[in-house]
Amino acid sequence: MFDPSAVAVVGASTTEGKIGYEAMANATEFDGPVYPVNPSSDGRLFGEAFVASVTDIDDDVDLALCCVPAPATPDVLQECGEAGVGAAVIYAGGFAEAGEEGERLQAAVVETADQYDISLLGPNTSGFVVPETDLLCSFASGAEKLPPGNTAVVAQSGGVAHALAFQSRRQGRGVSAMVGLGNRANVGFTETIEYFDGDERTDAIVLHVEGTDDGRALLEACRASDTPVVAYKVGQSDVGEFAESHTGALTGDHELYTAGFAQYGVPTVDATDALLDAAAALGNSPAPDGPNVGVVTAQAGPGIIITDRIQRAGGFLPELTPETRDRVDDILPGVTYTSNPVDTGRPMPAFGDVVTAVAEDDAVDIVLVYELYEQAMGFPVESLDGLAERVDKPVLFATDGIEEDMAEDESALADVGVPVFETPERAADAAAVLARYARMQGSAEGTEVVADD
Amino acid sequence: MTDRPIAAARADGRRTLTEAEGKQLLADAGVETPSFAVCATVDEAVEAAEGMGYPVVVKVSSPSVTHKSEWASGAGVTVGIASEEGVRTASERIFEAATEQNVHADVLVEEAMDVEAGTEVIVGGLRDPSFGPVVLTGLGGVFTEVFEDTSHRIAPIGRAEARAAIEELQAAELLEGYRGSEPADVDALADVVAIVGDLVTEHPIAELDVNPVLASADGAVALDALVVLDPETAVDPASGTEAGVDR
Repeated sequence: MFDPSAVAVVGASTTEGKIGYEAMANATEFDGPVYPVNPSSDGRLFGEAFVASVTDIDDDVDLALCCVPAPATPDVLQECGEAGVGAAVIYAGGFAEAGEEGERLQAAVVETADQYDISLLGPNTSGFVVPETDLLCSFASGAEKLPPGNTAVVAQSGGVAHALAFQSRRQGRGVSAMVGLGNRANVGFTETIEYFDGDERTDAIVLHVEGTDDGRALLEACRASDTPVVAYKVGQSDVGEFAESHTGALTGDHELYTAGFAQYGVPTVDATDALLDAAAALGNSPAPDGPNVGVVTAQAGPGIIITDRIQRAGGFLPELTPETRDRVDDILPGVTYTSNPVDTGRPMPAFGDVVTAVAEDDAVDIVLVYELYEQAMGFPVESLDGLAERVDKPVLFATDGIEEDMAEDESALADVGVPVFETPERAADAAAVLARYARMQGSAEGTEVVADD
Repeated sequence: MTDRPIAAARADGRRTLTEAEGKQLLADAGVETPSFAVCATVDEAVEAAEGMGYPVVVKVSSPSVTHKSEWASGAGVTVGIASEEGVRTASERIFEAATEQNVHADVLVEEAMDVEAGTEVIVGGLRDPSFGPVVLTGLGGVFTEVFEDTSHRIAPIGRAEARAAIEELQAAELLEGYRGSEPADVDALADVVAIVGDLVTEHPIAELDVNPVLASADGAVALDALVVLDPETAVDPASGTEAGVDR
């Protein structure tokens, strides 16, 4: 599905604005052969000659993008099966989400897929994108501008998948892949998580979840993933009736997702931007050993916001060791505040040394640095380069300033792999996700030990 | 051993276990319950009460009676009985009311517990269509109903996870002792939570409510138990989370 050698666009159309046209336009960005399929068209589309059926293609097509309406889909899939196509995206709606007739159609499609062993993305999805290989299996405009990154976006809704991917581009981060699952006929969360856990371009997986029939399988897939997974479960208001105090009435869907994710080592957030921030923190950092956050700030106010927010969200600000406090005192005699957070009062040349001292403190598991951009000083890129790997802890950086002025320094930070955040709140939330993740991973291991004896 | 109360209910074509069967199920699984005995005659009831010592509680025990305290104008439950005479009177009322209503009933005689001596906790398990067996913990009464202060876990869980489920309750501090009361035995309570999780995991149970569990310094005792089985069609425990629950 996500790594094909040749692609067929079934229902490709010469009419601009139609899904069959937009999907073809995007698909032709792919480096391999892309075949437009339509029995009632001839000539060429984006330089490729139309064929009447996938069975007519003299090539090993292993991905079909089905741009035909729901009623035509079972026949198209049958042909895909006969042609030996192993994966298909079904964009059309009008399946299980649309009543009895749609359910019947979806069942027919799944039956054919089972018969020929075809992986089906959708129906009722806007598809997927793998920016690194220009595999643009989405009919949305702008898909070609999504930059490659190391976060795999897996969303139940194709719309949310795209919203996350576009947001990620704006944040300068990018995605390893963006997938809208839609109706999850036979490719669902579990299969996708498994795939991206094994994908070397992916360092974090984010999930947008509305609801699934097999919550337990989803949780098991998350636990089995070595790649960190973060989830955004939508639908908090859909809770059980609390009118009666018995277990059934006290157990809402959302509580089970929230509790289950925590139990199975998956931090949850409640916003799309927080999802991507969490992925940036988890996917670009060594795994945190604990929830203790050391904060270094060049300005007191943002540091106070960060401190407050981290503690409310499940992180902990430990006392720094006396050795670290002495070190900070030596570097900056009379520094504003040498406990945690360390407040240097303003950006200064020795700021990087202070960050290093805190990062090397054994009481600290996670480092968060806040500094407004100071043109004359720049960011302490040299100190931050390789620091996280050396101390084997996440090191997050948050800043603000005039975008154009700090663009060069920011990209220098990105180049050395430092996750950068736009506001004190978002950086604090990301640090808190790391803290919760460390706690969950710690207790998840503990549970296994108990279960074994 | 643990299957016995479930098998008895199945044999009668019932999906709901009696309180005694529910408590037996819990006791067999290792949950502490008050001493209890199901008695078919007044004399048996007196003998049971003498054996466990006063005070005792006498309750109607019948698959036909689900709301014991409202049954037969209050004849269904008599608490705080301190004498043989009291046991006789309470038991006779139950048998008479049963005859009058033409239902089969036994009498459940149970060691009385001082609920003031601990904190009431609700522990429940159910088989969720999407997540399979889950277990719920909440502090009883107003905390559960008004403040929605409950925590959930996907079952089965170990004692450490069960303890975490208890500790994340906002009202958990009540268990740690307040106004001079002794801290409750949270490990014992955690065992109850874990066992309830195991029971819904291993048996064809749709829902299991232990409400309340009395948590005190001396341990955690199940004071009531309501067990609803999966529909008969889903009797095969091997079907696990696939069991067809009609909800």
